[in-house]
Amino acid sequence: MAWLVVRLAISVSLLYTASAVFEDQVGKFDWRQQFIGKVRFALFDTHSQASKKLLVATDKNVFASLNSRTGDLFWRHVDKIGPEGHIDALLMYGQDAVVVTGNGRLLRSWETTVGGLKWETVLDTGSFQAAALVGVQDFVKYVAVLKKSAISLHDLSSGSQIWVENLPDSDTVQYQTIYSGGNGLVFVFGVVPNSHIVIVEYKIEDGEIMRKKSVEAAWMSSLESSCTVISSGILLCVDQITQSLYTLQLQSAEQTEIRQIHLQTLDLEVASGFQPVLTSTQPNPAQPPLSEFFLQLSPDHHILLQLKDGLIAPLRDFNPSYLAAFATSGERTVAAVMSPKNDTACSINLFSADTGRRHLDTTIIYHMDPNGGKPNRLYVHAFLKKDDSVGYRVMVQTEDLTLTFLQQPGRVVWVREEALADVVTMEMVDLPFTGTQAELEGEFGKKAAIQDGLLPMVLKRLSSQFILLQAWLAHLWKLFYDARKPRSSVKNEVTIDTLSRDEFNLQKMMVMVTASGKLFGIDSKSGTILWKQYLENIQPDSVFKLIVQRTTAHFPHPPQCTLLIKNKDTGLGNLYVFNPIFGKKSQISVPALPRPVLQTLLLPVIDQDYAKVLLLIDDQYKVTAFPSTKNVLQQLQDTASSIFFYLVDSSQGKLSGFRLRKDLSTELIWEVVIPTEVQKIVAIKGKRANEHVHSQGRVMGDRSVLYKYLNPNLLAVITESTDTHQERSFVGIFLIDGVTGRIVHEAVQRKARGPVHFVHSENWMVYVYWNSKFRRNEFSVLELFEGAELYNSTVFSSLDRPHPPQVLQQSYIFPAPISTLEATLTEKGITSRHLLVGLPSGNILSLPKMFLDPRRPEVVSEQSREENLIPYAPEMPIREEWFINYNQTVSRIRGIHTAPSGLESTCLVVAYGLDIYQTRVFPSKQFDVLKDDYDYVLISSVLFGLFFATMISKRLAEVKLLNRAWR
Amino acid sequence: MQQMKRLLVVYVALQALFALSWCFSDAEPGPAAGSQSNGDRFKIEGRAIVPGVKTQDWISTARILVEGEEYVGFLKTDGSFAVNDVPSGSYVVEIVSPSFRFDPVRVDITSKGKMRARLVNYIKTSEVIRQPYPLQIRSSGPHTYFMKRETWGWTDFLMNPMVMMMVLPLLIIVLLPKVVNTNDPEMRKEMEQSMNMLNPNPELPDVSEFMTKLFSKGSSKSSGGNKGSRSVAPKRSDTMCTSRPAQGGDVDPNSVSYTYLK
Repeated sequence: MAWLVVRLAISVSLLYTASAVFEDQVGKFDWRQQFIGKVRFALFDTHSQASKKLLVATDKNVFASLNSRTGDLFWRHVDKIGPEGHIDALLMYGQDAVVVTGNGRLLRSWETTVGGLKWETVLDTGSFQAAALVGVQDFVKYVAVLKKSAISLHDLSSGSQIWVENLPDSDTVQYQTIYSGGNGLVFVFGVVPNSHIVIVEYKIEDGEIMRKKSVEAAWMSSLESSCTVISSGILLCVDQITQSLYTLQLQSAEQTEIRQIHLQTLDLEVASGFQPVLTSTQPNPAQPPLSEFFLQLSPDHHILLQLKDGLIAPLRDFNPSYLAAFATSGERTVAAVMSPKNDTACSINLFSADTGRRHLDTTIIYHMDPNGGKPNRLYVHAFLKKDDSVGYRVMVQTEDLTLTFLQQPGRVVWVREEALADVVTMEMVDLPFTGTQAELEGEFGKKAAIQDGLLPMVLKRLSSQFILLQAWLAHLWKLFYDARKPRSSVKNEVTIDTLSRDEFNLQKMMVMVTASGKLFGIDSKSGTILWKQYLENIQPDSVFKLIVQRTTAHFPHPPQCTLLIKNKDTGLGNLYVFNPIFGKKSQISVPALPRPVLQTLLLPVIDQDYAKVLLLIDDQYKVTAFPSTKNVLQQLQDTASSIFFYLVDSSQGKLSGFRLRKDLSTELIWEVVIPTEVQKIVAIKGKRANEHVHSQGRVMGDRSVLYKYLNPNLLAVITESTDTHQERSFVGIFLIDGVTGRIVHEAVQRKARGPVHFVHSENWMVYVYWNSKFRRNEFSVLELFEGAELYNSTVFSSLDRPHPPQVLQQSYIFPAPISTLEATLTEKGITSRHLLVGLPSGNILSLPKMFLDPRRPEVVSEQSREENLIPYAPEMPIREEWFINYNQTVSRIRGIHTAPSGLESTCLVVAYGLDIYQTRVFPSKQFDVLKDDYDYVLISSVLFGLFFATMISKRLAEVKLLNRAWR
Repeated sequence: MQQMKRLLVVYVALQALFALSWCFSDAEPGPAAGSQSNGDRFKIEGRAIVPGVKTQDWISTARILVEGEEYVGFLKTDGSFAVNDVPSGSYVVEIVSPSFRFDPVRVDITSKGKMRARLVNYIKTSEVIRQPYPLQIRSSGPHTYFMKRETWGWTDFLMNPMVMMMVLPLLIIVLLPKVVNTNDPEMRKEMEQSMNMLNPNPELPDVSEFMTKLFSKGSSKSSGGNKGSRSVAPKRSDTMCTSRPAQGGDVDPNSVSYTYLK
């Protein structure tokens, strides 16, 4: 019976809290962009002329098929993160693509039209070296995989292993590459550094070693990239130190002598310190490669060479040239070369591979983004035109991971910003007012205006009012003009110039920082990239912190964002200051940071230009202020005694609190040591600075008030045990006051382990851990209350808190794994809170905080009913209606950013991971604006009906009165 | 209530017995999966079925997730799948697809590589309700991501009990005098008689009286009626008010619906 009541109660309460999407709202205020990451392999489907497929494999362990006409995804497969999902090789033959994954662990064949797996084979362990398609009599039948100590051959149609052979002397010889020319043999090349090359020949049918030879090559250190096979079985190598090319006949039994050709005889020279690269092409795996090849002598010098009758002759010298690539269509092989044209553009030209002659009218101009990086990869798609000439399209990848697809004569077909596949941190910045609004604001902002006197002020006011009127009329005209046109042709293109804040401040600028060091400014309404800026010389594993120092509210001062870029190893950082609306670098001089930065602190103190002060604490506990004007320093001196900060040293398990001194040095106030032998600190979080709490307490069933413990200085520290045994592992939670160092609360979750996701907000903290005993995820909520009376209702001081807070806790089972956790945020904090839970399936669950309330009663009483408490149920419900992103799943969701909008009911949500998804959520429904489905027709028809009814009845009453008077 | 509890106890005991019997049956040597093992890593196999939908329409967006994203598998063109390199342990295997809903299954792998599949039960984690292995996961239909809009129709409006209560008396008031000639004294007499027939017990409260009492809440002014009913009416209305929360409260935790009545 009780269960029934609970069930019913839950279902009823769901009716009140559900914040679901309606079907007609799809795409109305949400958008998703899908990314793939840095392309490592890209293959165009040359199987048929009309094919639009472009297969890519990326460093994010993603294997996808792109539509080469639009740049959209046909399908995408996201494998496991880390080395186990790493894609080692991508080969394509016909409709099938063969992928080697996980350091040669898995061999998969994909059906590329459908995007389904054809077969999958587990390979023996061993580190992967190379893979190649093997053809017999003009047909590709097998795929050969070379491991450190073994080679295996697999059937292409079923994946079954034909044979596997151990490589001879694999403990001394480093086998690195593999080659097959379609003559029934597979060659494996290995090297003993600075000694000799080993060549082993295998018979395709049974894997028998036909021949094994070793060739003296004292100059050789590695085969990869410096060696290739050209023509009908000639191994070609290049060496920088001896400045020579080396050729070796593979098939002849007698000649085991390597031939040396000095580059000087060809009038060539390798740039000093540059490892020369050889590029050859094998259009059909069942046939030997072409005898033409590219030799890269320096970063911007390529040369096309040909081997003919044992002699190497240059066909064409490309100096300067950035990139070169071969492409084949049908029987014709071409080479595309990108060379610089001027400072901002490159030209790509097509040359026939066998002669080196330039094809006429094949120039593509590639304009380089001045805020982007240099191009570093070129992928060419060649095709035969109707008149039998060769046409081509190219895909250019740049250092900042932009993929640009170009068509003749230089038209950009599509651009993909793959840097966005790895967003590290982001902020949402309010848009500025329009020019006219700003004009009006500026009237009061400018200091000069006050000195102007009365008359000029009046004139200025009149003129600005006139401008406003003009703008309004123009707006009306545009509305009228657009209304006449069919809806589809009206394009609301967002550009940086038309950006302005909307009525409810729902449209914002998303400033995104990516791991590659590229910054983006994205319009939150449409997802359009409005600006991008590539920061060069960023270390690959830098740590970023984005701080909004000045918002758009302080016209005419431009908004200002500061990005702290910190090297992970050295801790040395530097600051990059920019305008978040236009992406321009600010001219403000930034302080030099000679010492590693340990902690940053954004103070509510503002300088005379309304920029918030940022404090940077270095490893000698010295503080640098930015901006550091006299005004700021003065203010800091005045408030120094009330500025506290904390430092975490997780390697020593030490938490320490400091206070600022007047001379910007610091003094240690408290220290908490969490012994590292038992547990280590994994995460620490304070509360969000822009969070508002609307109500001080909760009204209980008996009309008394339970006051919340709202400590703005509270830190939540999560620890995990070093012992990972499932019986003894635990997760620890410490709530520490950041000013006094007092441990306000301590909780231990036994038989639990991480990863712990948690949210710390208002007077509560929600965390998720893995219960290793029951093998399930559990949610736990901690709520802190002061009790029935507030100790000091006017101001909260950490130093004067005699009573510890009352802590309530409750735990629940969450029937799904979790990727990330965040809470909604609204402007005034009146709207009820929801938790946004990112699931590995890519869905984002909006879970009402109401379900995570430690006061949920086990036994329903009159008072709990009065309070609208849901009776306790151990399992948390998951309903599909609560997925705010319906079928727009976000792969590998890593973070959710929430920001308040101008409407109290609305919270802006951006989820990022491999994809980016932006939407709005209404945790308490849209109580402050009319709903989407508000029935205007009904309300107006009722009004009109009433109006006419009164008119008619009035008339009737008049007639009746008149008749009565006559009677 | 007591009886129900007893029944429940019996039921639980039976369940436990049932579970126990399963445990025993598990002890028997099942089909050894030695051929599948690869060192101490094993392979979870199965097939996903979406009734009435061709596999090529949904497999490219679906994935098999084992214990979150710890192990990932992909679907073959015929809907079958295999997740390789899984060490022994207990895992929740889930097929995720943005279009179709699949129920998760728990797969237990012993250190020898023996497999079994069972229903996921997060509350009673040791409960075993066997599922077929290799897994046969049938979709329970497309996801229902969207809420239905509350549509407005004339019928909804007219069938509303409040509206019916308002409209019907109105019709009677307007139409009855037209149908019946009230000026005829005979007819009036007849009507009075029939009214008395309808209201044989003068002790019962008058409906109109009751309504005015209820709404005017103790205001002394009341319309004329027989005296007997007046003494009864307040009692009645009182009981009505107190009994309401008790009735509704069992069901409705949101006190909104009744607090204003108090």
